[in-house]
Amino acid sequence: MTTASEQFLRDAATKTADLRHRGVIQKNIASYDAAVTRGKARYADWQNARSQAAAIKWETVNHLDRYLEQFEQNVLENGGHVFWAETAADAREHVLQLARRHGVQKVVKSKSMTTEEIHLNEALEMAGIHAVETDLGEYICQIRGEPPYHIVTPVMHLTKADIAQTFQEKLGTPPTDSAEELAMIARAKLRREFMTADMGITGANFAVADTGMIAITENEGNARLSFSLPRVHIAIVGIEKLVPHFEDLALFWPLLSTSGTGQAITAYSSLISGPRQAREIDGPQEFHVILLDNGRTRLLADAEQRDALHCIRCGACLNVCPIYKNIGGHAYGTTYQGPIGSVITPHLRDEREWSHLPYASSLCGACTDVCPVRIDLHHHLLHNRRNAIQHKFDNPIQRLLFATWLWTMQSSLRYTIVAKLGNLTLRLGFAQSLLKPWIAKRDFPTPPKESFGKWWKKVERASRPFTPSKQTVETPVLHDL
Amino acid sequence: MNPSRDNILDRVRAALRTKAHRPQAPTNAPIFPPIANPEARFREEFTALKGEVIENAEKLSEFLRGFAKIATDESELVSKAVGETNASVSECELGVTACDCLVARTGSIIVSTLSAGGRALSVLPPAHLVVARHEQVVPDLVAAMALLRKRYDRHWPSALSVITGPSRTADIEKILVMGAHGPKRLALYFAE
Repeated sequence: MTTASEQFLRDAATKTADLRHRGVIQKNIASYDAAVTRGKARYADWQNARSQAAAIKWETVNHLDRYLEQFEQNVLENGGHVFWAETAADAREHVLQLARRHGVQKVVKSKSMTTEEIHLNEALEMAGIHAVETDLGEYICQIRGEPPYHIVTPVMHLTKADIAQTFQEKLGTPPTDSAEELAMIARAKLRREFMTADMGITGANFAVADTGMIAITENEGNARLSFSLPRVHIAIVGIEKLVPHFEDLALFWPLLSTSGTGQAITAYSSLISGPRQAREIDGPQEFHVILLDNGRTRLLADAEQRDALHCIRCGACLNVCPIYKNIGGHAYGTTYQGPIGSVITPHLRDEREWSHLPYASSLCGACTDVCPVRIDLHHHLLHNRRNAIQHKFDNPIQRLLFATWLWTMQSSLRYTIVAKLGNLTLRLGFAQSLLKPWIAKRDFPTPPKESFGKWWKKVERASRPFTPSKQTVETPVLHDL
Repeated sequence: MNPSRDNILDRVRAALRTKAHRPQAPTNAPIFPPIANPEARFREEFTALKGEVIENAEKLSEFLRGFAKIATDESELVSKAVGETNASVSECELGVTACDCLVARTGSIIVSTLSAGGRALSVLPPAHLVVARHEQVVPDLVAAMALLRKRYDRHWPSALSVITGPSRTADIEKILVMGAHGPKRLALYFAE
């Protein structure tokens, strides 16, 4: 059996060498970057916006019990129902129960990473209930049988031509090179699904404690149709999605949009407080909120990394990550990709199985810099590496190598000897065959004869006393190894 | 009773017994620059998002002639502006509604089930026309949320939406396409 770590290495290696893939991602992320730069220019103080958001999330997450109870009470008062799901299986089972009780044959779904996390579509299909993804990107993923490539941009890895071909094969539509035509094909197909669906399932970007509302951010209108037309609406909400006050959204809506797509605010930011009321003319008869734990309380218990629960799933840390940009979203093999995924997945799922993910990082800190809620992402990647080593989940060979490296570095004599040996082996060429897997797709320059240490000593001697004109020592080319 | 509720809350409380490091407090410095003329700013933002402002009664009649079937929320403001219509929500080509307020900074229109004729009328039809009054423009979301809280607190409508431009998607190569699922056209008429 292939472990998650072996699969990761294989997929990452393939994607890194795939130049077409790299081109598609670079083009997509370049337009994202340009939009975000324009978006941030609308703020007087972006850094303070981040600090305010971090403070609100800190307050919520560190008093989560209080806000969860307040939220639940308000949803009930508004005429909705609340179900607490400890695991993915509990959440799936509850959805199936509700579907059976209401005689549901078709479900329309709007984009929700939480439903991806609990593999809801598979469960519904197994129960004979037709589940249709209605966000354009998610719909394309669904008909291709692929998981989303990115938490915000599900088909970032596909070109117009790829999508046209998918539509041609799966839907039998004529070939086209127009993004608009493709979107209109999906609109027409999905409009029929909306009109005949019995149940709408959504996620939530925020849950408002003091009014008992869920907030959904989108651009297409598919979420609004999903919670407006069917008889029953279910929202599956991670317990960390809470914000204390209705007014907090005046900050979080723009913040999420700017970081997610560069927009000042997305086309539709909606709030649902319950089912149709007697004074209203339409809307679902029932509104259900499923509050999902599924490992989140384990992350909460780690005070050092608790701020990872502040995440609003904007995707900014993916877009800025040099690793994500090279290995792509699918290589991670997780619901949540990129830096945030590598921080939370070992907590939400099995730590041993996913302990390789925190190494998928250059620790450059770009993720921490862009995070709109100031999660200390790159330090948490280091914390996860430390935890995995403390729990002895690391590779014993790697452990031996690091021990040897440490022993070498602790003595200048040992260092000099090993460096000389290394230099010699590399120049004579037999190391190259040893390093074949590494150098197959990378340049590997031959190191210079003279070591940096030797060169430095010469420079030092020549410049004592410091006289720049006498400096005749030739500078060797330093290779970045 | 499902024991999950207590199990989750117990785990939350146990977890929170260890205190987490508190981040540096934010300052009171304003997040956004001030807005001098809310209505002018609203028009600028709304138009930039491909919203259409209908400038006078004559232009409104011309706009309405473009739609064979029109449904409205039957509010006084809307009925006065558009007159009698008789199409249903699901068959109409244009939905006409009032709104709660207009937000200058983002060019947004806030609708609710109570202010705009339910949930479907402002999202299901291929085009959406909003009739508003000049005094409904507020500078930003902070002011809009305060207004909604004052109007609805403890008696909230079951759904509210902040609408910012016509429906759109950029899922395919980040190419902007209007009318993904919601209205392809969004228009605004200021009633005098």
